[in-house]
Amino acid sequence: MNQHIEAAQLDGQTITAGSAAPCAARFEAVTKDYRLDKVKVRALTEVSCTILAGTTTFITGPSGSGKSTFLNILGLVDRPDAGRLELFGADVTGLGDAAAADFRARNIGFIFQSFNLIPVLSLRENVEFPLLRQPMSGRARRDRAAAYLEAVGLGGLMDRRPGEISGGQRQRVAVARALAPEPRLIVADEPTANLDTRTSREIVALLARMQAEFNTTVVICTHETQLIPPHSPVIEIIDGRVV
Amino acid sequence: MIWKIAFRNLVKNARRSVTTALAIGVGGLAALLLGGFVTSIWYGVQTSMIQDQGNLQIYRNGYLEFGAANPEAYTIPDWQAAIDVIRADAALAAEIAVITPRIDLSGVAGNAATGNSKTFIGQGVVAADLAKMRQWDGWNIGEAGLPTGLPEDPASEEVVVGLGMARMLGVCEALAVPDCKDAPEAGAGREADPSAAEYTGLVAGDADLAGITAGGTGQPQLNLMAATTEGVPNIIAVRIAAAKAQAVRALDNAFVLLPFDQARALVFDGSPEATTIMVQIQDPDRADAVKARIQTLLGEAGMDLSAYHFTEVDPTFTRIFGMFAFIFAVVSAVLALVIVFTIFNTVSMTVVERVKEIGTIRAMGFRRGFVGRLFLAESALTGLFGAALALALGVGLSRMVNSAGVQWTPPSNATPLTVRLMVLENPTFAISVLLFLVVIAVLAAVLPTFRAARLNIVQSLQRG
Ligand SMILES: Nc1ncnc2c1ncn2[C@@H]1O[C@H](COP(=O)(O)OP(=O)(O)OP(=O)(O)O)[C@@H](O)[C@H]1O
Ligand SMILES: [Mg+2]
Repeated sequence: MNQHIEAAQLDGQTITAGSAAPCAARFEAVTKDYRLDKVKVRALTEVSCTILAGTTTFITGPSGSGKSTFLNILGLVDRPDAGRLELFGADVTGLGDAAAADFRARNIGFIFQSFNLIPVLSLRENVEFPLLRQPMSGRARRDRAAAYLEAVGLGGLMDRRPGEISGGQRQRVAVARALAPEPRLIVADEPTANLDTRTSREIVALLARMQAEFNTTVVICTHETQLIPPHSPVIEIIDGRVV
Repeated sequence: MIWKIAFRNLVKNARRSVTTALAIGVGGLAALLLGGFVTSIWYGVQTSMIQDQGNLQIYRNGYLEFGAANPEAYTIPDWQAAIDVIRADAALAAEIAVITPRIDLSGVAGNAATGNSKTFIGQGVVAADLAKMRQWDGWNIGEAGLPTGLPEDPASEEVVVGLGMARMLGVCEALAVPDCKDAPEAGAGREADPSAAEYTGLVAGDADLAGITAGGTGQPQLNLMAATTEGVPNIIAVRIAAAKAQAVRALDNAFVLLPFDQARALVFDGSPEATTIMVQIQDPDRADAVKARIQTLLGEAGMDLSAYHFTEVDPTFTRIFGMFAFIFAVVSAVLALVIVFTIFNTVSMTVVERVKEIGTIRAMGFRRGFVGRLFLAESALTGLFGAALALALGVGLSRMVNSAGVQWTPPSNATPLTVRLMVLENPTFAISVLLFLVVIAVLAAVLPTFRAARLNIVQSLQRG
């Protein structure tokens, strides 16, 4: 598995080369509006901030403040209405649908609040699934999926379906699925909201461990501030603005 | 992985998948059976027509256009010469099963015993040749030709009449034809017209006047009167060997099938003329090539003759087949519509249920096309299952129907054919139907799939 990670890092350096402080994401005056029956709802107002590569950054703020909107734009599944976004030194503001998909496939992993595993696939197949976007043999895909399931402690349940395991275990699978393509950025929107406190702590600890082990950049949005380890970088969003 | 997901989702929604596959399967089954029936008509009706008329017919140029008004002017001047030209060609010799002349004629027929007379439409044929033609089964469909009823002796004086003709002449009882009753007081009304009576007397009964005596065989005697090519009235006496139903009622009521030499004696006074030469070909698929070759040979020999496909002479087959093809097209279109709606509905439901999954897949970096393929694969699989179902049911049911031996009389035939639903016997058709099922299953899914692929990722992920 270490070979994969070295490869990813090498790949990363080709883009970040030259920049002194490795910056995973740079928001420049990003504004986002939603239209609800012709009424404009401003979700983000001129948000400017940077997320350092190789960190676990937390996004906090009250409900409806724009955290998810921020993560969606960061994860390239939504586009800003104004402003500029840079990921790993590349301007990704104007990427079209297909180009954004390709960028996500290579660089971004997602972890969702409700796990979003594919119910008809086994745990191993779920982890394998995003690897279909990578140039790998079927065998390499299966081995990689198994390795990551082992890493999140689910090596013994690989052939189960998502419906046959607990919520915490499902989120572990989701973590493995997000990590398996070895992305440079992992975006997690309320990954612990559906879990009890103990399991939530386990998942955050798992993400922190994986982040350290694979040296990715992790951005977690949560309103449970007690989960945030001390000295972690935190971006607080209130009413669509970074404070 | 796409097919795995597609298949497992079909299994997961088993009831819905089965319903959809059944709709496709039953629709396909109907198309296969109806198509099998149309196929059997295609082969069956053509076979019985070829058994009767040959694949090709040679006429004097202009006969088909103007011959009806003035048949004498458009006869083949020397049929033997024309047949000799064709027979001399070595390549054709192997292709041609039967080549034989026929004389079409009409006139008045009368029966001395009953005093009945009426107009007749006759065909003079070489009985042995026609008997051989009736055995033709170029497509190997096992359709048995009916015996002509004519003795093969060229000098025979026996004829065969239509069933309606037998009835009108009042000879049913004498011939012991089943389901045939002589008309009560036949011809009684006609006596009122003195000129008609005179004419009737001439043809029907006054044998002495015509100088002809009836044979003493017990078969009903028949006098046939017609005009020769010179316009001179002529008369022959023959005996009725049998009555056989003809397809068209008007023809059945007037039909007389007589030995070629008798017809020749009646209308051509022994000259080598004939109305047409019928050509029956071993391999029906070679008809066009043989026709072209015959045309060339006749042209080179300087003969004013042309060869026609039997469907050009008699449009009955084209019309029958056209009708069934039309019915098939309409039924297929309706079935296709039902299938399209069913699949559209199924795929739309599936998409709605899996919006969040679509959002997740897109977030993981898969392009729209991948999402599209995911759902199209599901529909294609459903189409395949439906097609397999249609094939299995189609083969099973057609076997059952075929072994039941149901009889059906096509509009062109006098006698019924045994219904044989040709499903597998026409592989091009069967494969086309099955392919069509899969194709419309995929096409019907295109619109809902397209919608799924274009869903907004953020909104799909927000869906509960
Ligand atoms: N699809 C949408 N259509 C319209 N308005 C939206 C949509 N999604 C979000 N909004 C609005 O944008 C604002 C920011 O929403 P967002 O989901 O980013 O908040 P959030 O901080 O993630 O809230 P929560 O903590 O409840 O998840 C809210 O006012 C919300 O109502
Ligand atoms: Mg949110």
